[in-house]
Amino acid sequence: MLTARNISVTLGHAQVLAHVDFTARAGQLTAIVGPNGSGKTTLLRALTGDVDYSGTVLLNGTDTQGQRPWQLAAQRAVLPQATTMAFPFTVIEVVRIGLTNGTAATHDSRAMQALRRVGLAHYANRFYQELSGGEQQRVQLARVLCQVWAPVEDGAPRWLLLDEPVASLDIGHQLEVMEIARGFARSGGGVVAVMHDLNLTALYADEVAMLAGGRLLAHGTPADVLTDATLSDAYGCALRVNTAPQAGHTFILPHAANLMTENWSAS
Amino acid sequence: MRRAFSRRKALPILAFTFATALWGGSAALWAAGENTQPDLLSLGGSVTEIVYALGQQHRLVARDTTSVFPPEAADLPDVGYLRALSAEGVLSVSPALIISEEGAGPPETIELLQTASVPFVTVPETYTAQGVVDKILAVGKALDVEPKAQELAHNVGRKLDAAQHAATQSGIPKRVLFILSTNGGRILASGTGTAADGIIKMAGAVNALVEFEGYKPVTDEAVSAAAPDVILMMDRRGDHATSNEELLALPAITTTPAAKSQSVVRMDGLYLLGFGPRTAQAVTDLNTALYGG
Amino acid sequence: MTAISDLDTPRDRLHAARAAHLWLALLLVVVSLASLAWGASGTSLWAALAKLARGEPLTQLEAVILWDIRAPRLALGICVGASLAVSGAVMQGLFRNPLADPGLVGVSAGAGLGAIIAIVLGAALPVWLVEITGNALVPVAAFMGGWASTMVLYRVATRGGRTSVATMLLAGIALGALAGAVSGVLVYIADDSQLRDLTFWGLGSLAGATWAKTLVAAPLIALSLGAAMTLGDGLNGLAMGEATAHHIGIPVQRMKNIAILTVAGATGAAVAVSGGIGFIGIVVPHLLRLATGPDHRTLLINSALLGASLLLVADVISRTIIAPAELPIGIVTAVLGAPVFLWILLRRRTMMEL
Repeated sequence: MLTARNISVTLGHAQVLAHVDFTARAGQLTAIVGPNGSGKTTLLRALTGDVDYSGTVLLNGTDTQGQRPWQLAAQRAVLPQATTMAFPFTVIEVVRIGLTNGTAATHDSRAMQALRRVGLAHYANRFYQELSGGEQQRVQLARVLCQVWAPVEDGAPRWLLLDEPVASLDIGHQLEVMEIARGFARSGGGVVAVMHDLNLTALYADEVAMLAGGRLLAHGTPADVLTDATLSDAYGCALRVNTAPQAGHTFILPHAANLMTENWSAS
Repeated sequence: MRRAFSRRKALPILAFTFATALWGGSAALWAAGENTQPDLLSLGGSVTEIVYALGQQHRLVARDTTSVFPPEAADLPDVGYLRALSAEGVLSVSPALIISEEGAGPPETIELLQTASVPFVTVPETYTAQGVVDKILAVGKALDVEPKAQELAHNVGRKLDAAQHAATQSGIPKRVLFILSTNGGRILASGTGTAADGIIKMAGAVNALVEFEGYKPVTDEAVSAAAPDVILMMDRRGDHATSNEELLALPAITTTPAAKSQSVVRMDGLYLLGFGPRTAQAVTDLNTALYGG
Repeated sequence: MTAISDLDTPRDRLHAARAAHLWLALLLVVVSLASLAWGASGTSLWAALAKLARGEPLTQLEAVILWDIRAPRLALGICVGASLAVSGAVMQGLFRNPLADPGLVGVSAGAGLGAIIAIVLGAALPVWLVEITGNALVPVAAFMGGWASTMVLYRVATRGGRTSVATMLLAGIALGALAGAVSGVLVYIADDSQLRDLTFWGLGSLAGATWAKTLVAAPLIALSLGAAMTLGDGLNGLAMGEATAHHIGIPVQRMKNIAILTVAGATGAAVAVSGGIGFIGIVVPHLLRLATGPDHRTLLINSALLGASLLLVADVISRTIIAPAELPIGIVTAVLGAPVFLWILLRRRTMMEL
């Protein structure tokens, strides 16, 4: 269980989050959605301890404040929106950095496994900087997976915190990454993802937290949260769910993709 | 300050010059003839000059960078700059005696030389006629040729007295500004307590800048206020030399009497500032250059 | 770089980098022997060793040259070379920039100012103080200057327990300008011989190596470098930014503390005993990154070994090329380092973007 209570964040003079309560359960994929500037990334950064906040964040029942970085790293891994590397690391070297801490440190072959999982094993010796943004993001996902390889360790769930994990990906890789995230949750781990894409959210999230203007607007299943009224309110324009466009307009929904999926298997 | 040296200056000072001309680069042969290995290291241009003037050049095994007179000295191995000596470099020429001007260093090297039990004699330095005499006596004592040194010191002292006396007859003392360098238009000039200050006084002139000690960068206004009648510089070869036109066109200098009369005197650095056996001649030369023949 | 055919066995630069520990250690041993064996004088290390083996005493000259001149110089050369290279690697990791050097945290400016103060104002100090410090005055002042300026920068850049690397960089520029101005004033009032001392100090040299200096500098440098060796994982994490480093379990602030203190200690001590020696701190880590990759776990150790070796080579050149005189080592490292550096840049131009 990942629980945040009464989270407020002030950056400079602007209050970015105001008294937000948030809960994510292990075994589920919880999405944080909302319009630009609604505070969804800030909420994630409060959960990871990257911004100063008031309120409490409990990770598996323990306050994250006061825990040492390596204690937190053993319980949760964080995927940023984009990651630039300072030196000419190769792809496999980047993934191995994920083995630095935590319990997977002894399993060097895990880096290749993780790379295979995101479909980039053939890039192992390429320089990270030579990859496209989307490929870099998948390499980072492999690194993050290395860090919390087993979704459950010693009976406690481990967590993936993903900040817009699919923003720079094509639709095929979006589905692939979301499958990985869902697989992690199905195996007992917890996943919290800041999402921009409402269709993917509807397709993969078990729970959705909708933020608008720094406040929590709704929290529940996709069916409960992603309604005409809530969406229109949050995004400031009239939106209708489950309505096909008029004939003649092309639309592509990820729901229709026929994806070969493998089940998540923690080795 | 690099002590430049000009081969153009003919210096018919002492009788031994003829012998040293023969000596050339064959130090080893000469030494073999005397049946002694050269084992003297001379540090400082004036010390080396005195060693030659005492006829002891056959004992020289090496010199420092500033020892460039007489020209034959340049053929000796160079152990580097007086103030930045390398202990092993010095020891590698196996000196049995080191005679040095003041200021040899770094201190670590000097300490190591003491550890290695190499006798190290520092000769005193004062920029007066008596200073030259004392220097010659100190070098002579270190070389154990005291009678010769006394003779040379007597001669040199007498010439210095004569040159200084002649210089005092020059009439109204001229104000002389010694400029060490004019890098980027910034004038580095001599105050009191320097070799330049000493030679200017000995040549019957006055130093135009007495407000500070040593060589310092001076402002344009200070140069104007000093109102020098003559500007004295070292004679440098190479690209860095400032031409007289450039020098006199510097804003600080254009207003001075020296600029109006186009009075710039250039002399070889070691000759002018060395305070060695040639200094009497240098005093006379400078006096002549300042006041005319 | 092309994709490899055998997916399961990625080319392992880490393995190569670990093998390099051995080769570079071997290189250092060879270079150390060369440094003891070569010098301006004809004194032979081998002849001396043979004498000792036969139980004969050395001549005083042999003993002084081998034990009092070459040996402390070797020891100090290893310390200084390793310090400069490791400090360079640590700074580059901390600032995430392959061109960073310890100068960025104000060590060099502060040390230079300390040295200038000691050289110019040393004469005005009370006699008892000069007697206590003796020849150590300039190095001690340089170390204190370097340490003090780093601590000032560190204070300025740290707010609420977090050190901003960017603020540190900017404050470093300001402090450097200030130190430069104060140095300028002191240079203005310096006399002729002091100016020459300053020039030679700035060019750097191991010529002043003594056992006394070595025994003061070596423990400090050893301690600093030992602490720096623990930074490998942290600097790897930091390559992805501070937030990500924190996420993978790196105690970022503690790591920054250690990095800055070790660099101030090691560079401060190195600059204090040898003056300004350039290029080792940039060229060595860069060469190693090209050869075996940027993994700091191996880069730091290899930097220490290669930095020490290169400085010893430069020192052997500096004291033999114009023997019996000596070329300041800063000139040698610049003459050797600059063309190598340019060659690297031209040959691997694309690598610089990485």
